[in-house]
Amino acid sequence: MLPFLLNRLWQSFILLIIVSIIGFTILNLIPGGPLSQYALDPGMTAADLERLKEQMGLNRPLPIQYLDWAWRMLHGDWGTSYRDGAPVTEVIGRHIFATFILMGSSMAISIAIGTWIGIRGATHRYSLFDYTATVGAMVALSIPTFWFGLVSIYIFALKLGWFPAGNMYTIGDETVLGYLHHLILPSLVLSLVHVAVWSRYMRTATLDVIHQDFVKTARAKGVREKRVLMKHVVGNALLPMITLAGMQLPQLLSGALVTETVFTWPGMGRLFLDSLSYSDYPVVMGLLMLSAILTLLGNLIADIVVSMVDPRIRLA
Amino acid sequence: MTKKTSITLTRRGALGLVGAAGATLMAPNLLGKPAFAQTEGAPEGRVIVGLVQEPTVFNPLMVKIEVDDGVHFSLFDALFRFTPEGEVVPNLATEVPTQANGGISEDGTEWRVKLRDDVKWHDGKPFTAEDVKFTLELIVNPDFRAWRTAGHAFVRDITVVSPTELTWRMEEPFSPYLSFLTETFIIPKHAFEGVEDPNSAPFNQSPIGTGAFKWDRRLAGDRVELVANADYHGEGPYLEQLVFKYIPDITVHFTQFRSGDIDLLGRMYITPDNYEEAKTLPDRTLMLQPAPSIETIALNLERPQFKELAVREALYAAIDKQAIIDAIYYGVPSSVENYVPRSSYYYYADLPLHEYSPDKANALLDEAGWKRGAGGIREKDGVRLSFKNSTTSGNHLREQMQQFVQQMLQQVGVEMTIENMPAAVMWGDFWMQSRFDTAVVGITFLIGSDPDVTNRFHSKAITAQGGSGSNNWQIKNARIDELLEKGTRIFDPAERKAIYDEVQQIVRHELPYLPLFAENYIHGRKSEIEGFEPNGNTRTESWNAASWYWVS
Amino acid sequence: MTALSATPHSRRRERWWRSRTARRFMQHKLALVGAVIIVALALACIFGPWLLPHDSLQIDIRARFSPPFSGDHYLGTDPLGRDLAARLLEAGRISLLVGLFAMLLSTFVGALVGVVAGYRGGWIGSVLMRLVDAFLAFPSIFLVLALAAVLKPSPAVITVIIALTSWMEVSRIVEAEVRSLREREFVLAGKMLGLSGSHMMFREVLPNAMGPIIVAATLTVARAILTEAYVSFLGYGIQPPLPSWGNMLNGAQQYLETAPWLAIVPGIAITLAVTGFNFIGDGLRDALDVRSEGG
Repeated sequence: MLPFLLNRLWQSFILLIIVSIIGFTILNLIPGGPLSQYALDPGMTAADLERLKEQMGLNRPLPIQYLDWAWRMLHGDWGTSYRDGAPVTEVIGRHIFATFILMGSSMAISIAIGTWIGIRGATHRYSLFDYTATVGAMVALSIPTFWFGLVSIYIFALKLGWFPAGNMYTIGDETVLGYLHHLILPSLVLSLVHVAVWSRYMRTATLDVIHQDFVKTARAKGVREKRVLMKHVVGNALLPMITLAGMQLPQLLSGALVTETVFTWPGMGRLFLDSLSYSDYPVVMGLLMLSAILTLLGNLIADIVVSMVDPRIRLA
Repeated sequence: MTKKTSITLTRRGALGLVGAAGATLMAPNLLGKPAFAQTEGAPEGRVIVGLVQEPTVFNPLMVKIEVDDGVHFSLFDALFRFTPEGEVVPNLATEVPTQANGGISEDGTEWRVKLRDDVKWHDGKPFTAEDVKFTLELIVNPDFRAWRTAGHAFVRDITVVSPTELTWRMEEPFSPYLSFLTETFIIPKHAFEGVEDPNSAPFNQSPIGTGAFKWDRRLAGDRVELVANADYHGEGPYLEQLVFKYIPDITVHFTQFRSGDIDLLGRMYITPDNYEEAKTLPDRTLMLQPAPSIETIALNLERPQFKELAVREALYAAIDKQAIIDAIYYGVPSSVENYVPRSSYYYYADLPLHEYSPDKANALLDEAGWKRGAGGIREKDGVRLSFKNSTTSGNHLREQMQQFVQQMLQQVGVEMTIENMPAAVMWGDFWMQSRFDTAVVGITFLIGSDPDVTNRFHSKAITAQGGSGSNNWQIKNARIDELLEKGTRIFDPAERKAIYDEVQQIVRHELPYLPLFAENYIHGRKSEIEGFEPNGNTRTESWNAASWYWVS
Repeated sequence: MTALSATPHSRRRERWWRSRTARRFMQHKLALVGAVIIVALALACIFGPWLLPHDSLQIDIRARFSPPFSGDHYLGTDPLGRDLAARLLEAGRISLLVGLFAMLLSTFVGALVGVVAGYRGGWIGSVLMRLVDAFLAFPSIFLVLALAAVLKPSPAVITVIIALTSWMEVSRIVEAEVRSLREREFVLAGKMLGLSGSHMMFREVLPNAMGPIIVAATLTVARAILTEAYVSFLGYGIQPPLPSWGNMLNGAQQYLETAPWLAIVPGIAITLAVTGFNFIGDGLRDALDVRSEGG
């Protein structure tokens, strides 16, 4: 196990370097740059802009800038936001909570509903329910989430007035209830896709387990069907789902990007878009690295879990 | 009783620098003047100002954008201030230096400024001339990420004569400097003692000023909260708390104003498409203010298509400005012919007026020898009258306008293709190095309301040709150069006006850009907020938050 | 990373194709529905613009914001008074073409990388597959948005960008497939006959991996259409006045209250198209006996 882990960590490290080089290059290929937001200021001369460039180290050769960034990164310094003047980790930290709440609640909803649909679909295979769920999931996966968000805002916020049209809370009403009220619509919208994914995976996982010997044995021993289902089937089917959860870790960042825009949710998706449009390189790079780390971590967790569940696969 | 929305249009035409003193009809008491019928006693209440961009820079000398200004005007003071009428009045200084009162020497190079002796920093320390000296020196410190250095770079030999008086010498006479000083906020020297790098001083995140409000806290990504400074040397403050709330979406911005979550709308105010609806809101007051910026279609004069004046005139005649204003911008902006805002003393009113006439456009082009070729597009000497038009992507009204213009130009045999880009790309080298064909751009021409436009029209201000400045349309005109050079060496407003009137006439004739309209900001606030007054000579609606108060 | 790519296969080996006739039938019915949707959409987009009374670029300021079914504007008009139906179909041409060509390009690149990596193995294979891993570690929306900001977003450029961010899956599928085929008799036989490497790869090995490639390709079209919509919605994609389903939605949020059809109409078109391709993909998966990725 340990050599495997070390090997994987080493590989991941190499991958992170490749990712950071590609990301850094693309970002710096974007014409313009962080200073262009001052270009329309009537008092800012080209000389002023040139001076700022010099002070911020932006006129150094690209490889030098990259090495400087990478060296600091290795020492735990993620850099300082151009726009904000605050450390990147702090900037990300401020937005991570909003995204976490949104993704977390939507995940919770979709795991609950998705698991139920999946199991019911598997145990009642080829029933009307199963067909409906199958087709429904495929349609749900085909709807652009942001559009679904727009339509929900139109119906539930503008027409029916049940929920606010966006934002995380109302100033002056920062109560838990106020937060919840704002949370419901976007998290339900996000759940649409996740329910679809979870129910499909759960259905297959349950089908896998149902036909395994120990389930048959339990049944043969006369254990009641409900108990078989709860104890043996669901428990075992849920294990591989951890894999899926691991794989979905990086979605914490990118998954809600457009939904956050539609609902003006102050999370990391918004931060990413804002930072990209202002060419706030340190923040964009920070988000990119965070996302890549989460992806690799998710893969690693998935592999480890799978190896524990299925002894046939040895980690080597 | 529900009050209907009331609408006021502030039109301060050419009130002028000199005659402005009498124009206090509704100007709430500037600095030192006693408050009229206003609250006695402790400040009370809270105003929440909504902004669509987040204020992130709190050292007022560091490079910043407009939204930061609102916070700075409340926290800090400059030596002087602009009134909405365009008059420069003392703030931390006791009088405005002129050649007449001896504050500025006859040759315009020696300056002497006297300061108030009753001002204290928020931490209780006294404000002195040392702080002013420190501020002016920090701006030109090569290691400091300063905002504009124009004008400051000419300052030499700053001498503190006494705690309330200092002098300096200007390398060359530069009359715009007085205006620049109204946007130069003074910061405390003692906050930087022992600080190695002024770019990362603790002060930058928890600023200390002399202004009407004190720093309380910032919830980054969300809001900045300020509290009343009871010891303020000027008038006010009447509010106990001032909050700047960041709302990253213009639609939500308005929604929150409608629902009452926001008391007063800051930048970008109310968009024209929401104007009609805003007018129906109860207990809200709207105010139109001519914006200092002008919406233009900038032409790159080095492109072969635009070298001829006839082409530029034809393009201008082919565009139905009024239809754009009425249909796309809901009639809110005002058509203009040039760059000086109508609220300025230097506004020249007699420029020739635009006339929409496709016939005239066609005639002009026919006459100049641009013949219709393939696809109905005109060409001459192998040059097709076809060009790209760019602006920031995502600005919906502008994108609609572009497509509208595209169709109008097509009717006179001109092909315009649209190629928009994200802000950071658009306004980077693409704009600064004149790599565009044409661009839709809203520009504020005047720096600190001074009429000097060397930066925009002098032939030495073309970055793409090795100059330094923002003459991005690359206009080269000897007469303009001459006038501009003269204008900054003269201090008398009337004399300067004659110079800049002529500049406006030449620019209108040459059409380096097609002037479309001046936006009118639609300010919105709850009707119970009094003391609010827009000021076209600053970049923020919150320039006088000290004078705001609730009536109830 | 090889451990990971091997696992899902062994875990899911005995699943989808064990389905009974009923299930197959239903799948095929779905596939049929999908095919009908796509063909109908394609025909409408190809011929529709000629049949409608208005041109998609014709501005009529007086008729702006007409609601659907007003006069001969069957789906209403947009903020410039252009006919929404005409724009929708015109946009469909672009969105569908972007999806289609992005699929072709990404499948080609993916298959190429996969075949070379799988057949050659060794250090070339491992470098190529690391590259695949690196691209997979990117949040794809980052790549798309950043690249769209670098390059001028014309339909062709957007197509390339989308392809650039979606070829990795095909690579993985093909690499795994080719690696397992490499040791099979007919390949070994070919080697003994002295056939050249490239001949072996593209004439013999690749055709045997066609099933999974086709399924992945169909799903790639669906995803490419969605990606185009996301990117254009955010304003980084295809630029007006050229309509695409995505950029028709850009700005629609502003008019959600006054002109909701601006948001609703293009969204339905996207959903229909994507559902259609997903249905077809699902049907093909069954028909071609391809193991599933679970969705």
